[in-house]
Amino acid sequence: MSIFANTSNTTLYFSRMQGIRVTRENSTSLGKLADFFVDYEEIYPQVLAIQIKRSGHLFYIEWKDIISFSLDCIIVSNDAHEHRSRTFPKIYNPKVITSLLANQFRGKTVDYPSISKVVLDRQIVDTSGKKVVRVNDLLFIKVGKSMRITHAVIGFRSIVRRLGYETVVDTVIKTFNKNAHYLKNNININWKFVHALPDKSFQKNVRLTLDNEEIRNIHPADLADILEDLDGHAREQLFSNLDHELAAETLSELEEDIQTKLIKKEAPEIAAKILEKMDPDEAVDLLSELHKKDAQNIIENITDQEAKDDIEELLAYKDNTAGGLMSTEEFQVSPNITKQEILHRIQTENDDIESIYDIYIVDSNETLIGTCPLNKVLIQKENIPIKEIMNHTDIKSLQATTPWREVAEFMSKYNLINVPITDENLHLLGIVSVDDVLPWLLDEKS
Amino acid sequence: MSSTQNKTHSRHPYITRFLVLLSIVGPGLITANIDNDAGGIATYSMTGAATGYRLLWILLPITIALIMVQEMSARMGLASGKGLADLIREKFGLKVMFYTLFFLIFADLGNTMAEFAGIASAGEIFGISKYITVPISTILVWLLITKGDYKIVERVFLAGCTVFLSYIVSGFIISPDWLEIGKALIPDVSTIQTSDYPIIVGLIGTSITPWMQFYIQSAIVEKGIDPKNLWEVRIDIIVGCLLMFVVALFIVISCAATMYGKGIPINTAGDAALALEPLAGKYASMLFGIGLFNASFFAAALLPLATSYYVCEGLGWESGVDKSFKEAPNFFTIFTALIVVSAGAILIPNINLFGILIWSQVLNGVLIPLILIFIINLCNDPDVMGEYTNSKIFNLISYGIVFLMIVANTAMLYYEFL
Repeated sequence: MSIFANTSNTTLYFSRMQGIRVTRENSTSLGKLADFFVDYEEIYPQVLAIQIKRSGHLFYIEWKDIISFSLDCIIVSNDAHEHRSRTFPKIYNPKVITSLLANQFRGKTVDYPSISKVVLDRQIVDTSGKKVVRVNDLLFIKVGKSMRITHAVIGFRSIVRRLGYETVVDTVIKTFNKNAHYLKNNININWKFVHALPDKSFQKNVRLTLDNEEIRNIHPADLADILEDLDGHAREQLFSNLDHELAAETLSELEEDIQTKLIKKEAPEIAAKILEKMDPDEAVDLLSELHKKDAQNIIENITDQEAKDDIEELLAYKDNTAGGLMSTEEFQVSPNITKQEILHRIQTENDDIESIYDIYIVDSNETLIGTCPLNKVLIQKENIPIKEIMNHTDIKSLQATTPWREVAEFMSKYNLINVPITDENLHLLGIVSVDDVLPWLLDEKS
Repeated sequence: MSSTQNKTHSRHPYITRFLVLLSIVGPGLITANIDNDAGGIATYSMTGAATGYRLLWILLPITIALIMVQEMSARMGLASGKGLADLIREKFGLKVMFYTLFFLIFADLGNTMAEFAGIASAGEIFGISKYITVPISTILVWLLITKGDYKIVERVFLAGCTVFLSYIVSGFIISPDWLEIGKALIPDVSTIQTSDYPIIVGLIGTSITPWMQFYIQSAIVEKGIDPKNLWEVRIDIIVGCLLMFVVALFIVISCAATMYGKGIPINTAGDAALALEPLAGKYASMLFGIGLFNASFFAAALLPLATSYYVCEGLGWESGVDKSFKEAPNFFTIFTALIVVSAGAILIPNINLFGILIWSQVLNGVLIPLILIFIINLCNDPDVMGEYTNSKIFNLISYGIVFLMIVANTAMLYYEFL
């Protein structure tokens, strides 16, 4: 006889099962069902044991000892052993691991915690919806003689169900509106998208792995939203597990105060590595929010000499002036360079430069003597030197000390996407692009 | 490019310690000061006017209890990096957390009402009708929350709270019998009369509020303080609580000295202003009015906002004033409802404003033991606290505090309603 002989439902909610009476075959009461232990290293984890609570004490009984499972009563065999532990020993069967959460348990974990220590009532990252959610309920499915978890459940309806008001609320709503949106409002997250988050003071033997393919594939802007929704510890953990490149991209999408909090927690060497990968103007914005000493510490650890020079140069300007806004990644060439050489340089230096609209022509003293839009170079049929096609009479440039507002007005007046920035002797220092000014305008509006 | 090279000079270790302390100070100081909101001022004034110096000593155990409770909440924030609503849900499940928050909303509704009553009372001191002050303040409070900067709100609030330091000056000008006050500070249970229980529960309720424990914990989490700075956090809390103690003590003393035994009952906030007359003369009521308005107005903004945050945190709803209504509908609904309902209740004709102030604190006093039991339980869970769990003696004292609170509550309910 199947152990589910008295259960007609195929799917079962955790909220319905919590509190089911547990007895032995000979009717000795064992307590009430409190929680489950599952094999986390499977795509849809199989239940390994049930956790039982009796007069304040927790213990577990393995699934194989269960004779009958129904929503009224769980019966276990008379000789089933009560394990006095709050964790379940990790299963070391070699498996082909495909799931996200499964991967998290592959690392240093020694024991499996119960499911409510990891997912239920906790914040998780829903990697398909790309957001942080709090799990209200879990959905199980009967498979042969065993049970597996398939979904984490969120949404208002699952809160009502956990509270035990589902029938009442459903009835009330049905009498008013049979097709109410609420009645269909079940939000289930497939288990393969569930990414658990680490606890600061979790038992020492549970160490979740955070370095995940799924997390790495989330767009930095979405990742930034996720980090902003997390509590401090989980945020730091998740962030410090990103590689430097992704960390840099994510960091520039974050709110300022979270940026500084995260970078302060990193060792100066690591912080330096991350800042190197950021746009120099964004790195400088971040550094100027830190204490002078901390910032200096980070800068000293930057090994990429070019990035270091750029950052130190930009740091000298006030952040609300053209100098503070500008980036030093402009594409500058000497007047005699030809079209072919320019195209070749674009191919080889591609990594260093975000985007190229204009080419800036400087003489041997780094003085800006002309500009030329890239498309004008591209349409040339002959391999002529750039000085022949560059604009040298009316160069639209600004000095580094120009306040950001004037920069914005200047760019708007002449319809510029980029404006070159020079010192008082017209030495080219960098460019301000329109997206460097936009946040300032938006801030002013709100 | 020359970058400013910091001279590396070895600082005295004590100076370094002190600088660390300065960077951490804040959560404890602010939380303790929110104690001196409209409800607090009313309760302390009432205590002085109605019982003289008799109950002065009760402020001592209350302060010790407050320090211990806040230390636990702060330690929890440091060790777990999570808010109290979060932890209650993770440890006790959704049901327990839901009902806790449900009652917390009620208590906070009472408190917010008290803040609006404070605004109305302050207005009446200046002869402005509550039908003008309350609706205008409601709109301003709502705008402050949605458009203002939380940090700035906190700071203006703190600055305004310094008005209450004038009670200390007033207390010295009155030059009360210091010997008598000294004696009154020696704990003596025999001084308690049966009619004192609502006052005692109110005193507990205004000093150790449920929402403050949520508030200080998230402030610690928000600041991202390292657990190794636990002692600096403790100093912040102790200093804040002592400051609150001194202000409360002097409000009771000045009200006792000026009003007790003279048959002056406190029915309106204007009566309570009499205690400042020795200092400010005919400007006493003005000074009091300004202080009361400041405390009430900012608390009326901070309280619903904080409540809304905890509820959303616990239930996993989107929250944040920088979100739109569509992104975080529950968050906006909760604090708007708290403000509108509280302000609306105050506008009911012939309502006893000062009564609301006192009774909201009593409601707090009844709820706080429950929250404390959760806090103590969480503080003993190594899964939550790691190595920062409570010591045995600490547990003993804190359970003792909870026990005493329950005794006071039961006594009050017994004498008041049976």
